[in-house]
Amino acid sequence: MSKRTVNWVLVSYLTIIWGAVIFRIDYFPLTWVPMYSSYYPDDTITARVGDSERMAKGLLVTHRNGETSYISRKDLNIPKPNFRRLYYQRMFGSGPPKHRQGNRNLSPLNRWIRGLEDGEANFSADWEWRMFWSLNKSLGYEPQDPRFIVQAEALYQNRIYRKSDLMKQDVSRYRMETMEARIRWKDEWITRWNDGTL
Amino acid sequence: MALCKSVNEAWSRFFFTGFSGESLGLLRMYIGVGLLFFHTYQFATVLGLNPTGAMFYFIEPIWYFKMLGIQYHIPILSFIVYAILMGATIFMIRGQWTRTSILVVIVCIFYLKGVRDSFSGDVHHRYIIPMQMLLLFLLSRCGEVHSRDALHSTFPPLQEWEASWPIKTMQLYVALFYFWSVIAKVRMSGWEWFAGDGRIQEMLIKRSVRWGISGEDTLVKNSLSFELAQHPDLVQVFALLVLAFEIAFPLILFIKSAKVRAAFLSGVFIFHVGTFVLLDVNFILIPFVYLIFFDLVPIHQWLKTKAEWGFGRNPPVAGT
Repeated sequence: MSKRTVNWVLVSYLTIIWGAVIFRIDYFPLTWVPMYSSYYPDDTITARVGDSERMAKGLLVTHRNGETSYISRKDLNIPKPNFRRLYYQRMFGSGPPKHRQGNRNLSPLNRWIRGLEDGEANFSADWEWRMFWSLNKSLGYEPQDPRFIVQAEALYQNRIYRKSDLMKQDVSRYRMETMEARIRWKDEWITRWNDGTL
Repeated sequence: MALCKSVNEAWSRFFFTGFSGESLGLLRMYIGVGLLFFHTYQFATVLGLNPTGAMFYFIEPIWYFKMLGIQYHIPILSFIVYAILMGATIFMIRGQWTRTSILVVIVCIFYLKGVRDSFSGDVHHRYIIPMQMLLLFLLSRCGEVHSRDALHSTFPPLQEWEASWPIKTMQLYVALFYFWSVIAKVRMSGWEWFAGDGRIQEMLIKRSVRWGISGEDTLVKNSLSFELAQHPDLVQVFALLVLAFEIAFPLILFIKSAKVRAAFLSGVFIFHVGTFVLLDVNFILIPFVYLIFFDLVPIHQWLKTKAEWGFGRNPPVAGT
């Protein structure tokens, strides 16, 4: 490459990487470095109570023929951290940090270039549909199959501490919270079956 | 006109001076060696899967998987791609079919990262800096020095400007990466993020209670984070240090002394170790990219001499 070409490469490169920052583009390998940036001040701290036995069993599912069974991370053949996110977050309708980061404090310019209406989120997903599509497809069940999964359940507990108690090193005072998700298959989703998540 | 000229001069002085072809070739080799460890650490979770097990249909495919219509994981393919990735990285280190090797490394990272991040939709940022470096290596003539390719072909010698611009651009990207993270914090959460009872304290507590509490009401793990969180004044000092080093990171581009640069980067390395131990932030291996801030020629020479002594060869005699 000639020096002139290199200059053009550099100008283009700098424009692209700065453009990603200004317009909050977080698509690999471009980023505006949003990780660990969001902070929501709160008086309480929520800690999940780990339950390795429940995690090993996995999601409780009901099949179209009425049978119930458990689906573990081994059945799905995915890494443990990813299964935890499906169990504790997606089942409860909560998206990945990338979605929360991408939705928070978007400037009017960044909302405008994305064509977002008032109150419309930059990132959103129908996690219930995705869970059913992913679970059934991964296990080879089609909608007409008697083993097709029509309900999935996840359950865990949180301990909610007051920050002021924790600041006094008092971990004995907390409130227990039971989190339960039960999602059901909707037949109207059949029309999307072949498109999946694309 | 005068302004234009001085901008042009500053641009040329920054991007086109400072490194030799040998430096660029050595950087390719050393970064390649770092990548061998980095790849394995990053993709360990995918390599722990059953190669003949279920093909998982992704909950949220990464953007380029969506674009290409890739909706599910073929476990055996990840093992094959990982093997190709390691092989291509070795070829990159050796400088054999260098440009092709780098291209293969890039494609393999895109695939394996895509798989890892599509299972549940959590996209990690750890490969961003290495990927920028690989793209710049790809555009450069790094394979023409310290390489097998150079043994079989005669390349015109690399001029200083040709060797310098990729390295200086890498340096600039890394410096901006840290700088941008301050901008992101302020844009999303405001200056409150840096308060003593702000985000860092919250993370310290959250990470210390995440492993649970025993029957005796004591933390199962990471009591150090919990202890530190009890001292907001100290947390405030750490937060200000984070703010200071992230804002000041671009200054490293103008520090002439290698010792001062090394001291600054040692501080950043300690920061990454600290956030890994206390906050479970997994950027522990990223400091291997800081090699870009040094001219590796004297370091390589020193290591070579040491290695020759280690293998029992005679040390070189000055002047011979």
